[in-house]
Amino acid sequence: MKLWLKILIGLMIAGIIAGFLVYKFLINKHQPDYEKLKPEYSLDAGAFYREFKVNPDNAHKLYNGKMVQLSGKLSKIENTDSLAIAVFVFNQGLFGDEGVRCTVLKKFNAEVKKLKPDGIIRIKGVCSGFTGTDVIVEHCSLIY
Amino acid sequence: MNRLVFIIAMVLMISVQVPAQKYVTKNGYIRFYSQSAIENIEAMNRQVNAALNTNTGDFVFKVLMRSFTFQKAMMQEHFNENYVESDKYPDGTFIGKISNIREINFSKDGIYPATVEGNLTLHGVTKPVKETGTLEVKNAMVTGKSKFNILLSDYRISIPNTLVNNISKTIEITVEVTMNKITN
Repeated sequence: MKLWLKILIGLMIAGIIAGFLVYKFLINKHQPDYEKLKPEYSLDAGAFYREFKVNPDNAHKLYNGKMVQLSGKLSKIENTDSLAIAVFVFNQGLFGDEGVRCTVLKKFNAEVKKLKPDGIIRIKGVCSGFTGTDVIVEHCSLIY
Repeated sequence: MNRLVFIIAMVLMISVQVPAQKYVTKNGYIRFYSQSAIENIEAMNRQVNAALNTNTGDFVFKVLMRSFTFQKAMMQEHFNENYVESDKYPDGTFIGKISNIREINFSKDGIYPATVEGNLTLHGVTKPVKETGTLEVKNAMVTGKSKFNILLSDYRISIPNTLVNNISKTIEITVEVTMNKITN
């Protein structure tokens, strides 16, 4: 086989492998394993809520899209068809309770439903922002 | 942000002589779906705030853009960073009215056609919209459902040339909010 042909075939194989790797690990990359992500911030849930309430713009810049670990007294668990939400309540407004709402990963749904209000919990998840009444944290997992 | 909370508060407080019937949720659902020749893209958000005043027909909802979840991480990254610019425009809002609110009997279970008119704000652009849907009254709860399309270009959301075949110019939006009665 001629040298130029070997080089061409080699380049083609390298290109196919590179294309496959780009597709698998970049384009087709699935959501991360949120449970394994390390938190960038670790805070008291009440202090976290107050940061958004007092200076939402600054808090948005700091925390939006970041993994945060929160600790505090659990107020209640809300359940919908597919979600379990751990809620830290710090205020009362026109919509009722206001605070930090942590949507847990599905694998924690059953565990979270067993939690008792007023117990101290540690939870981590990705901050989505402030709705004006609540801080939303998603893809949450419990920390023991 | 605070302006919207104020508007929502006003929606809930406006109740002339008749005791206001106010329904709210913080767990509403919005899905968007793009269908193209190359791939279909969908994202879901189950943390939608919505409020309805059945006396006035005032209806609002608010959604955090970062709460949309995609199947693929890269789609979510592009959505937040390049298309809707979530850091700059963290939320989307609708402020409007159910224009045929008088035709809906909130004391009788049933599914009623509803027409919603108002302003939809996305990516910092506000556009008037008028869509149809249903309001279902059941067990003292009200579920609003609607499905409609928006043009990305109407909201100054531009798609890079390399991806024009991957993302539809028209996005289908599905809204479903089940609201509970509150007494304030």
